[in-house]
Amino acid sequence: MRKTLIAAALFIANSAAAHELTPTYPEFKQSYVDNVLVTQLKLWNRRQDVEYYEIDVYDKNWFNIKFASANKVIKVGYLEHQVIDIYIRETDLDNVEYICTTSKQLKQDVQSTGVKSMICSRVK
Amino acid sequence: MKRSILSLSAILVASSAYATETPITGNVSSKCSIYTDVAGVYGNPNPDELSTLPADGGVMPIIRYDVSIADYYTAKISWPTSFTTSPNLTDSLTWDGEVEVSATSSTDMAGYEAAKVEYDSVTEYDLSAAGSTWFKITSSVTYGVDKALPGGTYKANVTALCIAN
Repeated sequence: MRKTLIAAALFIANSAAAHELTPTYPEFKQSYVDNVLVTQLKLWNRRQDVEYYEIDVYDKNWFNIKFASANKVIKVGYLEHQVIDIYIRETDLDNVEYICTTSKQLKQDVQSTGVKSMICSRVK
Repeated sequence: MKRSILSLSAILVASSAYATETPITGNVSSKCSIYTDVAGVYGNPNPDELSTLPADGGVMPIIRYDVSIADYYTAKISWPTSFTTSPNLTDSLTWDGEVEVSATSSTDMAGYEAAKVEYDSVTEYDLSAAGSTWFKITSSVTYGVDKALPGGTYKANVTALCIAN
């Protein structure tokens, strides 16, 4: 009974918080610049303990691929949506495999064990 | 008379707009959400040890994965292998951990635990069913050989990845 109460208290004290990235399979299209492609992803931050997310683009072996976006680390407030434009070179299109967003916690916001969440959409 | 009829018609036409149905549309697309249901806490059962096990005075972090459509994502969860915050440590640390399914929203997920793949500090699950899965993470670390950990704050990160297949 006591254990159940403690478990319930813990669940109440730590309300669920989520990180979400869509679409699962983004598609690149021609941007307004020649030989540069663009795709759009939508990030939703339901993590109260996280305000910053880092964007990365990888090939199939998880090596970084150069890309451009307004910011590499973006600030997304709690319960906010952020639409992210990712630009890549047309020549890199065949190599791009994953576009990921990773939560970045401020040192003072991490409790004893923090959770770093990373969601990757795949370019097919 | 004609004017009154015209006015009445105009009012009726204008009012008809209130009687129309307002559609609400929705779309369920494939997506993965990572929830931090419970943030973990290290207990200090021995002077040289920190552990998230409840028996050691800790709290195990619990992470929930929600996938809307089956077979679209793989979950990779890593227990910590370094501190993000700690006092100055002069001896070696030995890390250990375990990731287990603690609850599922569907009986289709019953095979997740048996089918998991473990390597280094990573545990991989194929999210082959739609719904929610809760994972609990055990993390423990020992310092030197029976050496007391210096006083201070210790923090470490569990990494939860959701990768589109």
